[in-house]
Amino acid sequence: MDIVVCIKRVPATDAAIKIAADGKSIETAGVSYELNAYDEFALEQALRIKEQLGAGSVTVVTLGPKEAQKELRDALARGADKAVLLVTDKWVYDTYSASATLANWLKSVPCTLVLCGRQAVDADNNQFAPALAARLGFGCVTEVSKLTLADATFTAERDIEGAREVVVCKAPAVLSCNKGLNEPRYANLKGIMAAKKKPYEEVAAQVIAPAMAIESLTLPPARAAGRIVGNGADAVPALITALRQEAKAL
Amino acid sequence: MPRRIDTYLKDLVAEEKFAFYESVRDFADAEIAPKLLHWEREHVLVPDECIQRMGEMGLFGLPIAETYGGQGGDHTDLVLMGLAVAYHSQSVAITPGAALSLGAKPLQLCGTEAQKRAHLPDLATGKRMFAFGLSEPGRGSDAANPEVTAVKKGSGWVISGEKCWATNAHWASHVVVHALTNTNGPNGKRSTCFIVPRNQKGVFYQEMKGKKVWEQSSTGSVMFDNVEVPHEAILGAENDGFKVMVTTLNGGRLFIAALALGSLAFALDKCRVYAEERIQFDNKPIGRFQRVQDVIVDMDIALERGLTWLLHCCRLYDQDRLSREQAAKVKVDCSRTASDLLVLAMEICGGVSCFDEFGLIRHHNDLFVTRVGEGSNFALKDLIVRPLRGN
Repeated sequence: MDIVVCIKRVPATDAAIKIAADGKSIETAGVSYELNAYDEFALEQALRIKEQLGAGSVTVVTLGPKEAQKELRDALARGADKAVLLVTDKWVYDTYSASATLANWLKSVPCTLVLCGRQAVDADNNQFAPALAARLGFGCVTEVSKLTLADATFTAERDIEGAREVVVCKAPAVLSCNKGLNEPRYANLKGIMAAKKKPYEEVAAQVIAPAMAIESLTLPPARAAGRIVGNGADAVPALITALRQEAKAL
Repeated sequence: MPRRIDTYLKDLVAEEKFAFYESVRDFADAEIAPKLLHWEREHVLVPDECIQRMGEMGLFGLPIAETYGGQGGDHTDLVLMGLAVAYHSQSVAITPGAALSLGAKPLQLCGTEAQKRAHLPDLATGKRMFAFGLSEPGRGSDAANPEVTAVKKGSGWVISGEKCWATNAHWASHVVVHALTNTNGPNGKRSTCFIVPRNQKGVFYQEMKGKKVWEQSSTGSVMFDNVEVPHEAILGAENDGFKVMVTTLNGGRLFIAALALGSLAFALDKCRVYAEERIQFDNKPIGRFQRVQDVIVDMDIALERGLTWLLHCCRLYDQDRLSREQAAKVKVDCSRTASDLLVLAMEICGGVSCFDEFGLIRHHNDLFVTRVGEGSNFALKDLIVRPLRGN
C-alpha cells in the first residue's frame, strides 16, 4: 500500500502570536515552528500500517517554505521512506487552495491511502481531509480515534456527540487522525542518521489561488481580571447567578 | 522562552546530532518531566515503563555499534542524551548513562568477541543491564586496591566480599566485579574484572535505602559469598582490572559533567523566567537588579563555557585522545561550578526554591553527586596535579 502523509509546519503552540504590520498575517520573526501535533498521529499510523503489511511505502509531503525541510527530515527519521516539499513562500491559509494544490500533486504519484491530522493547529480550519478526498474521488473518514486494518478493509472509530461511531471503508481513502489514535514514536539516533540517505525532493509548488481572502486579523481581547464573589458554601448562589447572567456559562 | 542550552548546542554540534538532542529533549519533556513529581513523592525508582520507553528509543544503545544491535553513535551522542534528560532529572539520565558508560563500555573496550555477542545486543535495548562493581564499604577513592578477592579454584575462580554504590544494581542482570587477584603484584597489576550474573548462587543484592540524592536511580550493595565463576568470566586480561576500570571511568566522568550542565541549564532558565516575573520594590521585576543579573550572567557564562569544553573533550574521547587529566578536569569544573551556582539560583528565587515542584531543590541535591561520583573532586585533583609537578 502506498501511503502519503500530509503534514504541516505550524507555529509552536506556546509561541506568542503577534499580528504583522499589514494587519492580515501573523508576524513570523521570532516565532518557532513545529510539526502539527495531529500530523504526528497520522505519520505514526502510516508507519504502523506499513509495518503490519510488511510492504508498501510511506511518503510525507508538505506545502510550505524551505524551512519546512526540518519537519520532513524529522518524519524521515521516524521511519518515512520519502519526503517531498512543495515549496512556496506564500502563506496558504485556506482549505480550497491547500487541498487543490495537494490534490494536483497527489494525482501524479502512486497513492492508495492519504493520512493527515484532523486539523492544523494554526488556522484550525478542520476541512482539509474531506476537501482533499472530494478532489481525489477517495472515500473519507475524519477524526479517527481508532483504526484497524484486516482483509484490505479499514475499520475506523470516531468520537461523535455522546457516542462513538464505527465506519468501515476500503482504499483509496483519506483519513484524518485524532488524538488517542496511537502513541507517536520519537526519532532515534539510527533513524536520524538513516534519514540523511533517504530520498528527499523539493518541487516548486503550483499553488492554486485561494477562494478566500483575509480582510483583517485581530488578537482575542485580553482576559478580564477575575472576581471573588464570596467564600464558602454561602457564596455558591452568587456564583451560580454570576455564571448564568454574566458569563452565560450555565 | 527558548532554552538557553539549545542556543549553544545548535552551534556546537553537527546538525544531525542536534536533531537527536531535540528528539530526546522532546521525549524527556513529554514522558519524564510530567511524572517526576509523582515518582519523587512516591519514592520510586525509574519505573519499568520508562526504562522500556527509553530502550525503544535506543537510549541504552547509543554508542554501541549497529552490528551489536546498537545505534552506532559516539560518546558525544551519549553526552547529548545526558544533557537533554538531566535538564529534568539526573536520576533518570544516569540510568541509561551508567548502563552505557559504566556497564556496556568495559565490555566494548575489553570484552572478547564471544562476550560482546552474548551481551551487547540485549544491553543496547535496555533488556539487560550491567552494573559496575567498583566501590566497596572500605574502598572509595582508593578503588585500585579492592578488598573483594577472587581466588583460583580448579579452572575457575571464587569471588568473596562486598561491593556498594553500584548504580543500576536493581535492574542489573550482571555485575562487573573488580576483585583483588594478585596481592603481591606491582601497583596497577593486582586486580581483575569478572562478569558475574546477578542471579548466580551466592550473589546477594540489596538496594541502599535512605539516599536523598538521585532518588529515582538505583544504588545497590552486592555481596559475593564464595561465588564460583569460570575463567571465561574474566573481562580483559587477568591482573589487568585496574586498566579496565580506569579506561571506563574516563568516559563516565564526561557523562557526569553532562549531568551537572543539564542541571545548570534548567536552573538558568528557571531563574531567568522567575527574575522577570517576580515583581518587588517599585513594581520592578527582580531581574532589573544588578546582583540578580550577576548570578544569572555567571550561570550563562558557566553553561556556555562548560558545554564548549565538554563537547571538545567528547571529540577527543571519540578519537581515543582524551587523557585522564582532561576528563577529570572537565568533570571537576562542571560539577563544582554548577553546584555552587545552584545555591545562588535558589537564593534568587527564595522560599519557593524549597518546594519539590519548583525543581531547583532536586537539581541542588543531585549536583552533590556530581562532585563525589565517578571519582570525588578532591581525589581527582590529585590526578590533575601530576603533570603539573613534572613527574
